[in-house]
Amino acid sequence: MTNPVFWVGVLTLALIYANLAMVLNVESGWGGMWDLGIAGLLASGAYFYVILGVDDPELDTRFVPGLPMWLAWPLAALLTGLVALAIALPSLRLRREYFLITTLAFAEIIRQIAVIQADLTRGTVGFSSLDRPFDTLVEARSYNYVLLGVVAFATLVMYAITRRIGLSSYGRTLRAARDNEALALALGKRVNRMRIKTFVLAGVLIGAVAPLYLFYIRAITPQLFAPGITFTVWTALVIGGLGSIRGGVVGAVVLIVFTQGVRLIEIDPQYVSSIEPFLVGLLLVLVLRFRPDGLISERSTFGAARLRGRGRAPAPATTGAVAAVNSASGPAGPAAPTA
Amino acid sequence: MELVLDGVRKAFGGVVAVADVSATIPQDGITALIGPNGAGKTTLFNAITGFDPPDQGTITFGERRIDGLPPWRVAELGLIRTFQTPVGFTTLTVRESMLAAATPWFMETPRGAFAFRSGLGRTGRRLEQEAEIRAGEIAAELGLGDLLDMRTDELSAGDRKLLEFARQLMAEPKMLLLDEPAAAVAPANIDKLSQLVRRLCDDRGLGSLIIDHNLSFLMKIADEVHVLDQGVLIASGPPEQIAADPEVMRVYLGEQAAKQ
Repeated sequence: MTNPVFWVGVLTLALIYANLAMVLNVESGWGGMWDLGIAGLLASGAYFYVILGVDDPELDTRFVPGLPMWLAWPLAALLTGLVALAIALPSLRLRREYFLITTLAFAEIIRQIAVIQADLTRGTVGFSSLDRPFDTLVEARSYNYVLLGVVAFATLVMYAITRRIGLSSYGRTLRAARDNEALALALGKRVNRMRIKTFVLAGVLIGAVAPLYLFYIRAITPQLFAPGITFTVWTALVIGGLGSIRGGVVGAVVLIVFTQGVRLIEIDPQYVSSIEPFLVGLLLVLVLRFRPDGLISERSTFGAARLRGRGRAPAPATTGAVAAVNSASGPAGPAAPTA
Repeated sequence: MELVLDGVRKAFGGVVAVADVSATIPQDGITALIGPNGAGKTTLFNAITGFDPPDQGTITFGERRIDGLPPWRVAELGLIRTFQTPVGFTTLTVRESMLAAATPWFMETPRGAFAFRSGLGRTGRRLEQEAEIRAGEIAAELGLGDLLDMRTDELSAGDRKLLEFARQLMAEPKMLLLDEPAAAVAPANIDKLSQLVRRLCDDRGLGSLIIDHNLSFLMKIADEVHVLDQGVLIASGPPEQIAADPEVMRVYLGEQAAKQ
């Protein structure tokens, strides 16, 4: 409580996760692609960014052009998009848990490549003391505030991007194909191409977020991109509300503030390592028990509910020639999604 | 454009679901495909619409060979099917479902979503506005006008069936393929349903191919009936002729009934 720098750091990390959760929401919440490969794409973006920009004579200079930060950043994002395309083409032939396990495997492959390709990545040693934007403008002690500003700006941009997608006809068709793939196909929707494009877009956006994560950590090693990061993003999104526009931000801030804030409490050292997963579990259980759709539900985000406010309108009585067709078939139970 | 099946065959492992079917479904009018359970009706439907391409034979729609095309491509050519269980896009509202059916593919891409003032963006917005108007009209015609903002999973089964029609009409079909539209509809309402299908098709000059095993429904609605049994067409003709066909009676009612 006493140290504002601590909370600035917590908020910065929370907003970085918020960015990732918003991207995940586009591909998983709306697109229905259960991606467990966030860490892999984040690693790709981070390593592309470092390798393109680093100035280190020990490394293989054919691949290390030493680009300025502002050029390396967007280039890293685009290259991550290419990695996403390479993952999407085989993986998107699969569905559900098969897709999920494949993306998880790709993420681990990418991490192993980062370990093995030591002439480019410096293997498990990695890089440290990375340059950060506006590094020279302020003294090191107050840099945390600058970084928070940069990350907050990125969060606003990401929010605008994902909101636009959510409210566009593209987002609508993504949700339609998620709900019922066969029906979408029968209506002429190019479901697979649309999903591949969405996965690549997610790759580009994750690649764009990756340097922010490096600015926060100031170092890069393969261990940074263990699957845990993917699960944290997923947890944040589920807490915030899978499929809603704001859920990713809300969930990430709640989750990270909750789990990091605990460090301020005096705990017996033998419990320190287990308290964080315990809290994440507790938070998940509470949210899923009392708000199963997350703090902000998809239902409150789209369509009727958005127009009417939060309340559900009573079903209007059907009239006319079709009422008869209706009444005889009886009231519908909740429909099971088929695709 | 007429739909022509020529020697269509589809087997699953050793089970021949559709053995050899040749038929012409005209551009206008209602064609029925009947047959007892397991006759291969749905298999034939899936073969036509690209969900389960045929092993042999050709399917042409107008001038185009469509066998082997992916389902979305068959749909783009104007052959729009419905499903036996009208589940729909569960979390979308009626309006969203109908608009999604009408959205052109180039707006269903990241580029489409961020085409603000470009020609693409303007075209997309214009088409969306036109679709909104059309959705209102079609919903009103089907009696879904009050339900436009209801989520699909909040609708009654009957309304979901109507939404199925509404959505498929939004896709601007050239021919409708209806998979058991009378399933789960009470006998008392079959007449209403057949009038609705008849009106929707006649108003738009749409051809339709309906599969069902509800004989009384199809005999009333169809201009032409094809009877499928164990993967083979055993009779074709106008409903009156089919109703009197002893072979059809045998298939439907058993040997005993046919003799009487």
